[in-house]
Amino acid sequence: MTIKKIQILIMAMIIAVPIVSFAQKKITGLQIIENVYNRATGNDMQGDLTMTLTNSRGDQRVRKIKQFIKDFGKMEKKIMFFVSPADVRNTSFMNWSYDEAGKDDDQWIYLPALKKVKRISSESKSDYFMGSDFTYDDLGDRHPIDDTHKLLREEKVDGEDCYVVESIPKDEDYMYSRTVSWIIKDKWIGLKKEFYDEDEELLKTLTIKKYEKIKGYWTILSSEMHNVQKDHTTKMELANVKLDTGIPANKFTERMMKRGIK
Amino acid sequence: MIKLYFKISWVVFALFIFINVAQAQSLNWSGYARNYTGMLLTGNKKYAILQNTFNLNIEQSKDKVAFKVNPYIYQYPNQEMEIGLREAYMDIYFNSVDLRIGKQQIIWGKADGVFITDIISPKDLSEFLLRDFDEIRIGITSLKADYFLGDNTFEFVWAPYFTSTQMPDENSIWFPQLDFPVSPVFDYSQKEVAATLENSEVFAKFSAITSAIDFEIMAGYMWDDDPTMHISKTINPQTHQLTGLTVTPRHHRLGLAGGSFSSTLGGFVLRGEGAYYNGKYFNSEDSTLTDGTVKKNYLHYLLGVDYTLWNIRLSFQFIQQAILDYENLIKNDEFENTMTVLASKDFLRETLRLELFSYIGLNNSDALIRPKITYDLADGFELLLGANIFLGSEGRFGQYDDNDMVYTKIKYSF
Repeated sequence: MTIKKIQILIMAMIIAVPIVSFAQKKITGLQIIENVYNRATGNDMQGDLTMTLTNSRGDQRVRKIKQFIKDFGKMEKKIMFFVSPADVRNTSFMNWSYDEAGKDDDQWIYLPALKKVKRISSESKSDYFMGSDFTYDDLGDRHPIDDTHKLLREEKVDGEDCYVVESIPKDEDYMYSRTVSWIIKDKWIGLKKEFYDEDEELLKTLTIKKYEKIKGYWTILSSEMHNVQKDHTTKMELANVKLDTGIPANKFTERMMKRGIK
Repeated sequence: MIKLYFKISWVVFALFIFINVAQAQSLNWSGYARNYTGMLLTGNKKYAILQNTFNLNIEQSKDKVAFKVNPYIYQYPNQEMEIGLREAYMDIYFNSVDLRIGKQQIIWGKADGVFITDIISPKDLSEFLLRDFDEIRIGITSLKADYFLGDNTFEFVWAPYFTSTQMPDENSIWFPQLDFPVSPVFDYSQKEVAATLENSEVFAKFSAITSAIDFEIMAGYMWDDDPTMHISKTINPQTHQLTGLTVTPRHHRLGLAGGSFSSTLGGFVLRGEGAYYNGKYFNSEDSTLTDGTVKKNYLHYLLGVDYTLWNIRLSFQFIQQAILDYENLIKNDEFENTMTVLASKDFLRETLRLELFSYIGLNNSDALIRPKITYDLADGFELLLGANIFLGSEGRFGQYDDNDMVYTKIKYSF
């Protein structure tokens, strides 16, 4: 090998290394959101959910729910038992969601006064959950393919390096015109999210207040959704979290909806 | 008065003891206190109802066993207090089998506000169909066994003792119109069904929930909850004029089989329910019949759809009752068609709810329209303002045309 060839090779390496390195770092908005969507959360989870609703006058209402979630491979089943307020106690709700894109969730509700499990439509994902600031869609895993994602920038929030991703719904009639998410690098947790209404005005801000690694999975324990237009806030706290305890499959049945929390 | 005082004292004492026991045993107890005041809109604005209610649920559950007792009190001014147990049962849980023994409400079917395969728990019609649904159902003493196989359930019910529909008092504004040419004399001597093993009722159901559809298939060998009115006529032999009528209410055995389903299609929930009643008695004007009744097979079915439009939850049901092998002199129509309509919408973060529920009788152009506004003043404290408007002059709803009323319910749940 001549000296000239060596020089060319060194030059090529000097040029190529940053190109390869840049190519490795250039992650897309879609990949970031997919990483969040696919973040390992355990095969099953149970916990006590407390929602504190605070209006602009500072009046508070509290809703308590016990929830169980289990991954069944191509589907995920969730069952929620309402603990308070007293007039909804023993009401339960079951949701089966599917990995298959475009397949709607199946949902049932058990109303103790009617003593009957009723199938309900899962179409109204824009409805607010129990009068809170969270819609059913905000609480569930919105599939990444439902939006077009764009990495806007990278910045530090609360000491964490974050990707800032803008997501624009493909459905123009969707309740949000766009959302902007701050995703912690490596942990793939959304630390903050802004929701913009149909007029492109800021509607709500979601802030993650507390997250911990439980049994090796990053788990959000406290979050707060603030509707800036109505100055109404919902704080959502998850306590007594247990992951991978092997919740039996029969927990997610009509039998348990009727039986309630035992 | 003294009797009432003692009764109240006993109830207070019993509650005191129970609450202490409940605390000591860490029982779960919940319930509500409620004031229900209704005023008729016609005539001299008479009160349709003045009722104070106390309802208590006492429950405890251990690994394999559980129990529930649901005592209630209805207190009326100047009337005797009504005290009862809506439910009182015990559960035993096995791996794939649950047993429930005792007085219990058992609800089957997919229909709302219509009773087709939902025929195990009889109805308390003291206030027609106006009571809340958990108050309309009468618990029956029975053994219920459920065998679970994944999302499939086999259910078997044995009711050793027959309980009939609770009809309104003859003096009540809800006592149904009787269509007799002369005032009848009632003979209740045959109304009771003897409490024997032979007279018990049995029901069976297979149900499943799947991603595509939920369905139930059921059958029952029971007594008709509503008594058949057997009529004997007294005719003056000289004038051949009808001089008297004796009505003898009697319950009859009834076999039925049916099913129901519920499924989603896009944003719609489609529901259906139907039952075939084998040998149900109907009244007939055929003068050749000795007791004015005729036995026919009968179909009762429903189709319904639920959906949400502009955040308004809507539900429509079409119901048909068909008498098979019909004879023209039967008092009921061959086909009786009814619709129900429900529209409801929440406001103020689900603290304010507007609702309109209506039964519409298509044969007699009559209806019951039930608008109501519910407001949660605080969590568990509910104020309700509603009205019951009866339209038409005959038929199931039109017969109560004079009973239009407004009412309030103030309810504290704990």
